[in-house]
Amino acid sequence: MRKGYILKESFKTWLGAIKEKFPLIAPVQDDGLTLFKEVEKVDDIVLDYGITRMPPKDLFFPQTEKMFRIKNKNNVAIELESPEKVTDELVLFGVHSCDLKSILALDPVFTTRFPDRYYQERRDKTYVIGLSCTKALPTCFCTAYGINPTDADGADVHLTELGDKYLVEVVTERGEKLAAAIPGIIFEDTTNLEAEKAKLTEKVKGEIKFIDLTGVKEVLDENFELPLWEKWAQKCLGCGICTYVCPTCHCFDINDFNRGDGVGERFRCWDSCMFSDFTRMAGGHNPRPTKKERVRNRFMHKLKYHLDRYNIVGCVGCGRCVQRCPENIDIRAIISDIKGGV
Amino acid sequence: MLKEKIKSTVTELLENKRIDFVIGYGAGSDAGTVRPAFVKSVEEVEQLIWSPFAVNNLAKFVMDHLYENIKIGVIVKGCDSRSVIRLVQDKVFPRENFYVIGVPCKGILDKNKVAKDFDLSGDLVDFTEQGDEVILKTSKGEFKLRKEDYLLDKCYRCETPTPVVYDVLLGEEVAPFRTDDYEDVKAIENLSVEEKSRYWDKQFEKCIRCYACRNVCSACNCRDCVFDMAEPNWVGKAANLSENTAFHLIRAWHVAGRCVDCGECSRVCPMGIPVNTLNRKMIKDMKELFAVETPGKNPEQGPVLGTFRTDDPEEFM
Repeated sequence: MRKGYILKESFKTWLGAIKEKFPLIAPVQDDGLTLFKEVEKVDDIVLDYGITRMPPKDLFFPQTEKMFRIKNKNNVAIELESPEKVTDELVLFGVHSCDLKSILALDPVFTTRFPDRYYQERRDKTYVIGLSCTKALPTCFCTAYGINPTDADGADVHLTELGDKYLVEVVTERGEKLAAAIPGIIFEDTTNLEAEKAKLTEKVKGEIKFIDLTGVKEVLDENFELPLWEKWAQKCLGCGICTYVCPTCHCFDINDFNRGDGVGERFRCWDSCMFSDFTRMAGGHNPRPTKKERVRNRFMHKLKYHLDRYNIVGCVGCGRCVQRCPENIDIRAIISDIKGGV
Repeated sequence: MLKEKIKSTVTELLENKRIDFVIGYGAGSDAGTVRPAFVKSVEEVEQLIWSPFAVNNLAKFVMDHLYENIKIGVIVKGCDSRSVIRLVQDKVFPRENFYVIGVPCKGILDKNKVAKDFDLSGDLVDFTEQGDEVILKTSKGEFKLRKEDYLLDKCYRCETPTPVVYDVLLGEEVAPFRTDDYEDVKAIENLSVEEKSRYWDKQFEKCIRCYACRNVCSACNCRDCVFDMAEPNWVGKAANLSENTAFHLIRAWHVAGRCVDCGECSRVCPMGIPVNTLNRKMIKDMKELFAVETPGKNPEQGPVLGTFRTDDPEEFM
């Protein structure tokens, strides 16, 4: 890993140089929400945000993605036309450590057993620039999963704001490619900056209430039925907020769209295990008939199934579901209930 | 104190087996949040709280108990009580299966407004109200604020501070002291057609189709929802402006004349879409056209669009 720095006074110029070369996606204010969006002006980028309303997963796994076009050829055959190119190269800037980790948690889903060309291409063509947190929100709990709020894990290039400089860590080969393409990083000794980063890490970690996960996985390994699921499920509205604002939730549905004129397209779109029809079969049977089974599935997925399947966390402690759940279903409180064995 | 009154009332109801359980408010993750509490036994009554942030409308949770021989106690504020009327009028949940515990309400604090000025990240230990001031005692400190400055928008126009239906009322009736001027609706009505279109396009573009607005809505009580149907596929699952617009307009029309204006749809929206403004536009129109009251306000008044009167306006015929 190469390390260097960018002077704050030349930082916007550096971002501007990126924007010259690539579409630049970064946190911006949009109608009262902080969202990852394509940047129109570098000045619009929000550098000191707490957390974006929506996670960055949309960049790799869009909520709605066209897969191919279907054309009926005189009722004898159908023609399928896949897009040759899914995306252009782009730069995703300003991703915090929890969200960086979430991308790593999505990778094995879409690139290992069932490689997905859409996800893969988007992933391959996106340069991810991470940004350390300088403050924590009351809903943050990344440290529960061994994530530090300044971790560079998952970024190609990672930045940390320290006084009048940004410490730059070039993490991957793709990061090297980006650094080479966009001049402005000063590769000099960064020992002092690294010491300051360590201090910042401790400061922000200190602002985060530590959630101890010891024993949680073990309880879930041994127990499918626990009274706590019914307790939490009865508070649930069965909406999809928690799954859609979650940076690691990745369920999707596949649908066709056509106007009845023989031309249509197949698309996939996000789906949610919290919806009552998520597991409903064609014959009407539903293996998860009530909110209890559905709520249990979501939290088992976050705390156990993803780890079992991919050996990487299924929750990164971003706290979006805690912030947005209309009925305040709080995974931190559920973790505490699991540990209490209720 | 209201909290004690709630506890003693629920204890008595449970002890005398007059209800099977109660849906009330419990402490949430922080001082500005409450969480629904389902209390089935006297031992669990301790969980119940009252909070100046008790915004959640709890009435719809009874829909998890359709067709059960059950009596459910529900704690309702004035606005929430209109939802009880909704569920009863729509023959979704019978009145006799409800035990309505009414709370007269002088307004609920908007946690987003309060959090801008005060640290709500601690636990709510206690609170006191003196005149128009509230003192919030939290684990992160004590904050004194003028209630009038921090109410939910909907509370500034509340016409039913006392529940319109109840089996027991915990406190003195609060006389209606505000009127609804529909300023929010008028502001949009006054835009040009193009501006309106731009405004709503912007809002609907943000929609992530989580259906929280539907799921929280007491007027959205269909057994099978049109949005869950795959065949026929009335509204596509794709999240784009076209399908999202179809979703929002169909949703609004399906609750027209039945929406009780509790405001929960706007509250729960994770993308800040003013969902309820669409409903309020229709309520305003219906009030002007048919001289009716907000649905649910008058238990005698049926769903406006499901009622025929010979003197209904018919200038369009």
